[in-house]
Amino acid sequence: MTVWPGRTRIRAFAALTAGGLLVAGLAACGSSTSTSTSSQVPLSAKQTIVFATQGLGTEGQATTNAVAAFEKLHPNIKVSILSLSPTSDVAEQQLEHYFIAGSSTPDVVTTDVTWPATFARSGWIADLSAKKPDTSSFFAGQMATGEYNGGVYAIPWFINAEGLYYRTDLVKTAPTSISQLVSDAKSALATDKSLKEGLAFEGDEYEGSVTAWQSFGAQIGISHLNNIDTPANVAALNFMYDAIHVYGISPSAVTGWQESNVQAAWLAGQTPFALNWPYIYALSESTTNGKPTYPAVYGKTAWVPFPSPTPQSSLGGDDLAVNAKSTHQAAAYALIQYLTSVTAQDARAVFAGDPPSVQAAYNAGLYKAAPYFLNEKAVYSVVTPRPVTPVYPSISSQLQAMISSVLSGQSTASAALSSTGPTVQQLYATGTSS
Amino acid sequence: MTASPQSVAPAGPPSGARPGTGRPQSLLARERRFGYLLIAPLIIVLLLITAYPLGYNIWNSFHHVDYLLPPLGSFAGLSNYSKLFTDHEFLPALVHTLGFTAVSVTVETVIGLSLALALNKPFRGRGIVRAAIFIPWAVPTVVSAELWRTMFDPQQGFVNFILTKLHLPLASTTWLDSTWTAWAAILIADAWRNTPFVAIVLLAGLQVIPSDIYEAARIDGANAWQQFRRLTLPLLKPALMVALIFRTLQSFLIFDVVYIMTGGGPGTSTNVLAYLNYHAFFYLFDYGYGGAVSVALVVVALVIATAYRRVFRTDEVMA
Repeated sequence: MTVWPGRTRIRAFAALTAGGLLVAGLAACGSSTSTSTSSQVPLSAKQTIVFATQGLGTEGQATTNAVAAFEKLHPNIKVSILSLSPTSDVAEQQLEHYFIAGSSTPDVVTTDVTWPATFARSGWIADLSAKKPDTSSFFAGQMATGEYNGGVYAIPWFINAEGLYYRTDLVKTAPTSISQLVSDAKSALATDKSLKEGLAFEGDEYEGSVTAWQSFGAQIGISHLNNIDTPANVAALNFMYDAIHVYGISPSAVTGWQESNVQAAWLAGQTPFALNWPYIYALSESTTNGKPTYPAVYGKTAWVPFPSPTPQSSLGGDDLAVNAKSTHQAAAYALIQYLTSVTAQDARAVFAGDPPSVQAAYNAGLYKAAPYFLNEKAVYSVVTPRPVTPVYPSISSQLQAMISSVLSGQSTASAALSSTGPTVQQLYATGTSS
Repeated sequence: MTASPQSVAPAGPPSGARPGTGRPQSLLARERRFGYLLIAPLIIVLLLITAYPLGYNIWNSFHHVDYLLPPLGSFAGLSNYSKLFTDHEFLPALVHTLGFTAVSVTVETVIGLSLALALNKPFRGRGIVRAAIFIPWAVPTVVSAELWRTMFDPQQGFVNFILTKLHLPLASTTWLDSTWTAWAAILIADAWRNTPFVAIVLLAGLQVIPSDIYEAARIDGANAWQQFRRLTLPLLKPALMVALIFRTLQSFLIFDVVYIMTGGGPGTSTNVLAYLNYHAFFYLFDYGYGGAVSVALVVVALVIATAYRRVFRTDEVMA
């Protein structure tokens, strides 16, 4: 290694500094131009808008169909679909990267019900109140997820709720208490040797574990964030642990399970109970060439709210929002209006099993085409949203780590809640303070 | 653009400042200026891709840059740094990372050295065995981590399958769900991928050791252990140092294996610094806190690199 003579070294340092200043100057020029105001393209103009959305398989196909129908209605507008990751957390990151970069596309974005508050708080999505959307036509619980500080930032696209699936051939009537669920699961396991577990649920360290905990009875709505260390929450967390380690009705593998694993266990007919979202209902009742696609569960599927003392089901689903920087606000909103029309909602419900967000879409036509939607109403009637707050990502990651530490036996439910409670309270306070 | 070469070479004025010293100096100065002009593009590119992001990151670490909680950019003093010591996440992650680095580098070096010694001996099919051993290193880490995660799956995984078939204990272990078994799984995945690297470097080091000195040692009556201890190891030191520096820094910055296999779980028990950093940037979008974690990472990595350089240097003096 050569040692530079002192003076050269100083000069080199001067050179580095000068170059650094130059680079900083360039960067400053770059950032100052991006704030210029943009002119809006009118609805009637010929234009292309970008629609960022998730969805594989039938859901993706349903979106393509809906977009084609929209383009027929508005021949001057072309919609280009930007596929986001099927993993919810990753899709959120992708959108946030577009927003942080100040991109004017995508124009329309699909957002999980837990994201709009965060996006609105950061000024990334447009306030749609001026367009006067008919907020009363949606389920109130889901509509609330799109509202922030008196504005309407996101419009519900389809609703989702987490409920308990049970096999009608193995369990005669829906359990009405947790203890009954446990004994039903145990007796099913004892009589049918082809079963591998009694209850499948998502216990992996991700958002799904939070919705599972909530569906098992945890109260984490906005009014509970000041103190989540409550008996109901301890009981729900204890149930998750006990199902694995005390009752033995769930395999320890559920601590690594996500929705898709629960889906696989249910459709293969290896469990009498499973906690999951409504798309499983559509899959269970689906046919291929006139034959049941999943014979193990076809015609033997029922879905109810989880029988905790006060049954509730975690609210999921997707909303639609408009990028605040989009220059195609009018066309973007027109697409949202079309996607939330009764026609488009019913088409998607029948085709992909996504439950409509618009109440009027639950009509005789829908029930005729897909009778199971009638049975799903019980679950939708008790939907409970996760807290609508811009700091939800931080709160959720605390809850995920807490649930994981309990399921793996590193901490007891009450100890975990009493240590996580104050952190959540503090995070919630930072979200409301400024 | 032209501003930088001019300010780069304040050597220009001296010719005027010191009149009378004659042409040779100004020629030297001119040559020097030309030299700087030639390397200017390179320096600018380097600044753009390293110095600027680093400076920007340091700036972030002293400001409130939480994209989910705007407004952004207010001065935050040392609050992002003090959070490192109060948030119950950074310090455990630091301990995990250092512990993992120590264990994984030791294990990989011991196995890698044994492999290199074995591969240095002539035997039939040595070429094929050498090539085969390096395959894991040619597999992208993401792919190998996904493979290992699948292998450790408690129900469909190969690990529990083979343990069951052989009637061995631990056959019903949920590997990634308790602290120590999760660490074991990460260590195995990491060692499988990286031991070949250590072996390659050490094998190259072994091959330049002349064989006649061993002959001399044998004539003097040195046994195999003495030959290894007194000849092989000292002569292998430079190669060993290269392998150690690379592996220690890579191990310290471990990310992909943890991201894919455990996501830092169960709970936060396999959380490491690089994962914590990723989480701060791309999940929480808190560039201030993330910046502080990055700076801490760089500082610790520099300390490690400097420590190795010290060892390296004393070694040179001795040799």
